[in-house]
Amino acid sequence: MNRILILIGKIIVGILRLMGRSAGNLPGIVLWHLTRGKCCKMFKIDCPIIAVTGTNGKTSVTNCIAQLFKQSGKKIIINKEGNNLDTGICSLLLKYCDMSGKVNADMLILETDESHVPVVYSQQKLDTLVVLDFFRDQLDRNGEMETLIQKINGFCKKFDGNLILNGDDPNTARLGKANPQNKNVKYFHAQPYAFATKEIFEASEGRFCPFCGQPLEYEYYQYSHIGKFLCKNCGFGNYDYYISAENINLEKHVFYADGHKYTPKLNSIYNIYNMTAVAGVAKLYNIDRKITDKVISGYTVKNGRMENFMLGDRKATLNLAKNPVGANMTLRVMNEMQGEKELLFVLNDNVADGLDVSWIWDINFSIFERVTRVVTSGTRAYDIAVRIKCSGYDADKIVVVPDLDKAVEELAKTEGRKFVIANYTAVQPTRTALKNYKGGNK
Amino acid sequence: MKPLKILHMYADMLDLYGDSGNMEIIKYRCKMRDIECIIDTYSIDSDMPDFSSYDLIYIGGGADLEQQHISEDLLKCRDGIRKAYENNTFLFLICGGYQLMGKYYRDADGNDIKGLGLFDYYTVAPESRRMRCIGNIVVRTKFTGKNVDVVGFENHGGQTHDVKTPFGEVRFGNGNCSKSHYEGYFEKNVIATYLHGPMLAKNPEIADYIISYCINRNSSENIKLKKLDDKLEKDCRQVMLDRLIK
Ligand SMILES: [Zn+2]
Repeated sequence: MNRILILIGKIIVGILRLMGRSAGNLPGIVLWHLTRGKCCKMFKIDCPIIAVTGTNGKTSVTNCIAQLFKQSGKKIIINKEGNNLDTGICSLLLKYCDMSGKVNADMLILETDESHVPVVYSQQKLDTLVVLDFFRDQLDRNGEMETLIQKINGFCKKFDGNLILNGDDPNTARLGKANPQNKNVKYFHAQPYAFATKEIFEASEGRFCPFCGQPLEYEYYQYSHIGKFLCKNCGFGNYDYYISAENINLEKHVFYADGHKYTPKLNSIYNIYNMTAVAGVAKLYNIDRKITDKVISGYTVKNGRMENFMLGDRKATLNLAKNPVGANMTLRVMNEMQGEKELLFVLNDNVADGLDVSWIWDINFSIFERVTRVVTSGTRAYDIAVRIKCSGYDADKIVVVPDLDKAVEELAKTEGRKFVIANYTAVQPTRTALKNYKGGNK
Repeated sequence: MKPLKILHMYADMLDLYGDSGNMEIIKYRCKMRDIECIIDTYSIDSDMPDFSSYDLIYIGGGADLEQQHISEDLLKCRDGIRKAYENNTFLFLICGGYQLMGKYYRDADGNDIKGLGLFDYYTVAPESRRMRCIGNIVVRTKFTGKNVDVVGFENHGGQTHDVKTPFGEVRFGNGNCSKSHYEGYFEKNVIATYLHGPMLAKNPEIADYIISYCINRNSSENIKLKKLDDKLEKDCRQVMLDRLIK
């Protein structure tokens, strides 16, 4: 039976390739139906699998972990961003397996959608699960965040492999208690950075202890609900850290972990957490220090994550914000920078964005500093304009231009530093519009 | 003018889908008119407030877990909230807040969470958690006497039955139940609805209705609110109406 299924899958991959198309999810979807939802089960995988999940940072961390092994000379298989459901992973494995379904690699590094962790890894043995964070940005697809965490928690109850968890996110850290028998639970952590706060700064969830319901007490917040927390009632939050980011200096692009100095290119606290998770995996698998250093120091991103563009002689920095956390992070970076600047905010509400744009109300716009003008664009250009207006920002300084090319022209009209925030489906069109800007008056 | 006094209940637990934004909007619209606006918060195990001393009591929506957490605490407030309601305090209730003022909320596992029983309706969540009413919604209301199309975003599993005086007629979306004709619950001093968004963002008339009610509720003079420039808000709503109603 397996052989027939693999054959069918490979034929579909082949046909798509002949048609000049990449396989995408389609072969997996077909097999999903043929196997009644068990499309990942038919593969024979002997090598360890590392899965990375969480709301934010999956792609970065997956890529970095893959680099750790690749540069150590291992043969790895990694999925591309977006192909992180069971069907996407099945499609990927179809490409790499032989006719008996055997996958030939030293290591599989798989970005895995939060809701698909239990699905995929009930079918294949998982060596290590890295969980970065849980923010509510996918409610439309998954029901409610609590349901999602419960699902993964159910999986963790039976899981005795390595569990690398963000120890500063109560939503994530609670998974460490799912299976008291599991001796391989490891927490990563970060010391407060220069802009950590005593009070919560951005709207968030998870303020109550998931075990006893008492309010969690925070020594500090790094961003949103991420920070050093403790339940004084039942002790949740009191554990040893496997790895800690220390002496974080974003201005100088430096942090220390396990006594070693790292110099990441991206200087956001959010990236520090991701890189600490990467350093944790490197420690667990005894990766050569030099390689870890190279990966963490060399990692940078394109694709609209703190990507720079020139609009004539004006510098514009674009950042993707799928949710309030991402947007708040960008506002922080913008504020931490001296001088005046203008902001373009592009907001779409396509299916992949989750249709609902109410998350923009969880962005803390009242912290705006030296923002002299705001241009809004996208299918929900007016929603974001109203949101910013109601935060107390002068409505006369808000310009609504739903058409993206025209919005970029509007932004470029004036001198000075520009910032651009775009949500998920808006980011690629925004990149294109920024690249296409030729300057001058049309 | 006396300051407008608001009690925002369970702000730390019930603030799904931008619901806390409603308070930000009320505060903003008061500030633009130099009306002082005091927002107190109440949460689990806070000291029992004098509910009747508030002009407005606001409760947002939350996940099932949070709703279970608060329901017991909310019952302790029953007499105080009922008295305030009878004394003309305005009740503005979104989603979970709406459900919990009814007789009960039956969750997906069949467990009943007791409501305050202030109103006759009751809510039942479907057994499958996947069955949810999710999407943009347009409701035709008459709270001002004239037709006002209200635009918001609904995301609820619970199906609310036995609503005698709904907030409005559904023009697009689901409403109280899947594909139902009516949405929410309304009295002159109650707006209870499934609309998130936050719902006041695109519907400044509702915000002003509530503010106007509150500043006039215990006075004989009829204070008129200063008009604000709502062009952005109205354009925002129109974009959605053009898209949804065709
Ligand atoms: Zn506790």
